[in-house]
Amino acid sequence: MKNLRTSKAISIAAVLIVALIVPQLGFNDYIMTIFVQGLLYSIIVLGLNFITGMTGQMNLGNAAVFGLGAYTAALSTTKLGISPWLAMILVALMGWLIGLVLGYPSLRVKGVYLTLTTIAFNEIVRLCLQNMEWTGGVGGVRSIPRFHIFGFLINTPVRNYYFILIILVFVIFITYRIIHSKYGRAFIAVRDNVDAVETCGIKLSRIKVQAFTLSTIYGAIAGGLYASFMGYVSPTTFTMNLSMSFAVMLIIGGRCSIAGCIIGAFVISFAPELLRFLGTYYQFTYALIIMLALIFNPNGLVALGPKIKHLFVKIFHKAEA
Amino acid sequence: MFAMVTQLIVSGVATGFIYGLTAIEYTLIWNSCGLLNFAHTKTIMFSAYLFVGTFLAIMANAYLPAVICTIICIALFGVLIALIIFIPLRNFTRLIAVMATVMLGTVLNEGAVLIWGSAPMSAGGFLDGRVEIGGVVTSLANIYIIVISVLVTIGLRLFMKKTKPGRAMICVAQDKVAASLMGVEVKRSMALSVAISFAICGLLGCLCAPLFRVQQTMVDMVGLKGFAAGVIGGFGNTTGAIAGGLLLGVVENLACMVVPSMYKDVIAFTLLILFLLVKPNGLISVKKD
Repeated sequence: MKNLRTSKAISIAAVLIVALIVPQLGFNDYIMTIFVQGLLYSIIVLGLNFITGMTGQMNLGNAAVFGLGAYTAALSTTKLGISPWLAMILVALMGWLIGLVLGYPSLRVKGVYLTLTTIAFNEIVRLCLQNMEWTGGVGGVRSIPRFHIFGFLINTPVRNYYFILIILVFVIFITYRIIHSKYGRAFIAVRDNVDAVETCGIKLSRIKVQAFTLSTIYGAIAGGLYASFMGYVSPTTFTMNLSMSFAVMLIIGGRCSIAGCIIGAFVISFAPELLRFLGTYYQFTYALIIMLALIFNPNGLVALGPKIKHLFVKIFHKAEA
Repeated sequence: MFAMVTQLIVSGVATGFIYGLTAIEYTLIWNSCGLLNFAHTKTIMFSAYLFVGTFLAIMANAYLPAVICTIICIALFGVLIALIIFIPLRNFTRLIAVMATVMLGTVLNEGAVLIWGSAPMSAGGFLDGRVEIGGVVTSLANIYIIVISVLVTIGLRLFMKKTKPGRAMICVAQDKVAASLMGVEVKRSMALSVAISFAICGLLGCLCAPLFRVQQTMVDMVGLKGFAAGVIGGFGNTTGAIAGGLLLGVVENLACMVVPSMYKDVIAFTLLILFLLVKPNGLISVKKD
């Protein structure tokens, strides 16, 4: 038992050291931007894990939540002139509000309604952001102020990387605590056996709305950070395809596992770069690979680890004998 | 004023039937496999390309054979997809199969670009023209859509109630274990439902070809509103699907008189969320216990 714990601590420390070294390896700004995107998407996918991974309700509107978070930060800082830190509080409130307003009607009744309402929500938000005047229309919002920490301006991708890495570590800690609390156990119980949960005296709809609200708060916060990191937001970013990508990240990485969420977010963020050599065949191959991966390895990349280990042990034993 | 309202209602009914057929098509898969088929919009798009780009081109504008060939091809493709995705993944978490269908949609989308190129196409003279009935002018395509949809709905209903495979499909929808105990081949029945669903997609592709320009995003909105129509009418219920589609189509078209037309799509989705709040079981609810 103690052995397991130390090995876990060592692997976490190793990952942290690698994460700290990455910006020093001399990647250009473009690659660093993708790294930062991976960090931001990790936050969203960790949130999505609560509702889609643990509670088992498909949420396909996370791009809209991400977008509303980004627009809340962008508009409150540029139009009202408040500091980005204060704006983050508004962003978190926005996330909470979305979770409540959207979660209540769709999770009150059993079934796939959350999937459908979140899709509808995604389209409504995108269309409204695109067509309303005070959100800047298709052009979006420009020159969003950056974060300041004690006079230290976070403006380059490398600085943003460290800034968001710190936030991500904090988010991971909170997520870990939630997963191992009574709420986390209730979320998993909802996925595994709905009837048993109700028999235990847990209110099903409330626990689902809680999981959904957590996911929207995470998504909105990632959106607020994104707005300040990019410096501009435009409605064309927050499409259904992005929502689908978030779900793909979660499933490809591995549901119900913090490591899986982060691996998935980074793998899918870097997929366009890794498959760039395919040219016009890129999208086609990408979708085909993901589809086959879902069919043949439905438990995600984290499930591959033990499988490979098992294979090695088998080969080793054969060599010995 | 009166003529305009009637015209809007007629075209609303036509689009409503399109939404209704979309709702029926995914409800069939939902009932038999317990899954939402997110590839359905891209299947409709793909069949429109297949119809216009390949069959109309080969058959030199012989419309009826081209439509039939498209429907048969897409239905066979549906059987293949059932064997690859729906049947093997039926015992896993619903999520995985749903994401697999989403990815299938992307594969179809990109496949269409690779096969037929990225330039939009048009259906030429197919269902082109206008008709005037009692002072109301409407396009020929609308009339055809209404007539064909009514025939398909009635045909499907008769098939489900009167024939053996149709009744087997209803059994599978109600209880898979009990159905297999009664000697129903559950897998075969699932494959049949998916094939019929894809055949309706093929038909929708042909019907949508004259309405929109044939391109990748042509029916994205139709697909999403098909989902909305299903919920409004009553989820998992084919009669409700048509009712919801008609309501959605007519309300959406009439609302154009009041609000700017770019918010037309917002109305449909707001209606969906309102229905979930007020009447979550939809217009025509089925008791499924």
